[in-house]
Amino acid sequence: MGVKQLSIFVTNEKGTLADVTRIFREHNIDIRAISVNDTVDYGILRTVVSDPEKAMEELAKEGIVSKLSNILTVNPVDEPGSLNQIFTLLGDHDINIEYIYSFLVREDGSQLFVLKVDDKDRAQTLLENNGVKIIKELY
Amino acid sequence: MIWNEPKECMSRDERGKEQSQRLIEVVNRVYHNVPFYRKKMQEAGLEPGDIKDITDIEKLPFTTKNDLRENYPFGLFAVPKSEIVRVHASSGTTGKPIVVGYSRKDIELFSEVVARAYCCVGATKEDIVQIAYGYGLFTGGLGMHYGAEKLGAAVVPISGGNTSKQLALMQDFGSTILACTPSYAAFLSEAIEEAGIDKKDLSLRAGIFGAEPWSNEMRSKIEAGLGIVAYDIYGLSEIIGPGVSCSCEVQDGLHIAEDHFYPEILNPETLKAEKPGTVGELVFTTITKEAMPLLRYRTRDLASLNYDPCACGRTNVRMSKIQGRSDDMLIIRGVNVFPSQVESALLEVEEAKPHYMLIVDRVGTMDTLEIQVEIDDRYFSDEMAELNKVRQKIKHRVESILGISVTINLVEHKTIARSEGKAQRVIDKRKI
Repeated sequence: MGVKQLSIFVTNEKGTLADVTRIFREHNIDIRAISVNDTVDYGILRTVVSDPEKAMEELAKEGIVSKLSNILTVNPVDEPGSLNQIFTLLGDHDINIEYIYSFLVREDGSQLFVLKVDDKDRAQTLLENNGVKIIKELY
Repeated sequence: MIWNEPKECMSRDERGKEQSQRLIEVVNRVYHNVPFYRKKMQEAGLEPGDIKDITDIEKLPFTTKNDLRENYPFGLFAVPKSEIVRVHASSGTTGKPIVVGYSRKDIELFSEVVARAYCCVGATKEDIVQIAYGYGLFTGGLGMHYGAEKLGAAVVPISGGNTSKQLALMQDFGSTILACTPSYAAFLSEAIEEAGIDKKDLSLRAGIFGAEPWSNEMRSKIEAGLGIVAYDIYGLSEIIGPGVSCSCEVQDGLHIAEDHFYPEILNPETLKAEKPGTVGELVFTTITKEAMPLLRYRTRDLASLNYDPCACGRTNVRMSKIQGRSDDMLIIRGVNVFPSQVESALLEVEEAKPHYMLIVDRVGTMDTLEIQVEIDDRYFSDEMAELNKVRQKIKHRVESILGISVTINLVEHKTIARSEGKAQRVIDKRKI
């Protein structure tokens, strides 16, 4: 188990994001996290949503290509240096980070970080063994 | 100067007699030497004796680009291979090129018609001709080269590209005539301006441009930019190469070397003859070529014919500028591109699916080709690096088939309109 990330192919055109979020709205799907990097012609919209399977199904019905994957999500303690600890650990063990985004969980106010790394299983074990809290499932 | 006055200024009556005689001869030769034509004529219930004069040409079967492809490489040759002294080739639609063979006499004929074209643009043996058409399998470079030598002009065989050297030699040698594609001529004129070269320091006075369609607006731009008079030369390798026709100082149509290449204008749907002045598909029969004569070759180029004698003194029929195509072929930077080539390239890339759109544009003087390819769930990756890899793979495959550089863009699924009938695959934004 892990947090499910929904990745959506988007072109760099006006209205694309409105289109995707309209589909979520119409099917009562809540967006927990969203991330889009700057793109030239096309890019990838990455989201964490309340019902990823349904979201994917509804997107597909409208011809929008998406992909679901388990993604490493951590909940570092809220104090200076906690992210530095994580990145140092990963770096020392030769694990590369491809992208990161963060979001707040409304219920308890904790801040979560989505980490895309090149070796998810090894990173997860490493962080757990060093006392970093890993989010296994989002409710 | 008219290069070959007896041939270029013949009366229509004499012209018809000569064409009739030559048609009878070529039909006999292909019937006896080219199995492809013998079979086609037999299927049409024709024997060489049924062709008695030039008006009988309409009984003869057509030849298409596809026929040339199916007989790749040497299937349509009408002489033994020992008689072939050169081959040229142009890009084909499925990777296989169209091959054309020339006998020694054909090369002589090729030089003759190109020499006529140079005279049409006012060239003499005093001129220095800078040939910036590509040399090689393409007929442009060597065709223009042999014609200029036949005329007796000095040839600078620099070939295409290498713009800074083009400009240097143009100044140092005092080139007077420039032969290249119109888009390269426009590019050179911009380069001259950018380099801050004063047109007065150049000796250029005429340009002989062809191998792609161009507008009168483009002509004015090139003429102003290079300080020259620009002329239009037309040809296709299947018929001979450049020199099938060329415009003269009157600038009212291109004189066809019709003592060698007999033109017809047909309605592309009904394949019936159109009246002079009506635009239709240009069809040529090579009535003197030895190595690879073609009967009624469908060029797919649209033009009209004008049989009135020209103020320049030539009496040979003039064709209009090319008005378009009766198929979907595009000419991009002088290279023939069929949408079907892109399709077959995409089919060879497993991740791609054949929903695509070609967007042709002109940035400055350079044609650009963007190909939008729909993303497919099968190869959608949530990593940009992977998507870019797919894009590169498609780009390499397409470029190796088309022979020109392209921009590949991935677009969302179903972005490209599906169509019930013939799919709209091309958006050409260029102003021709």
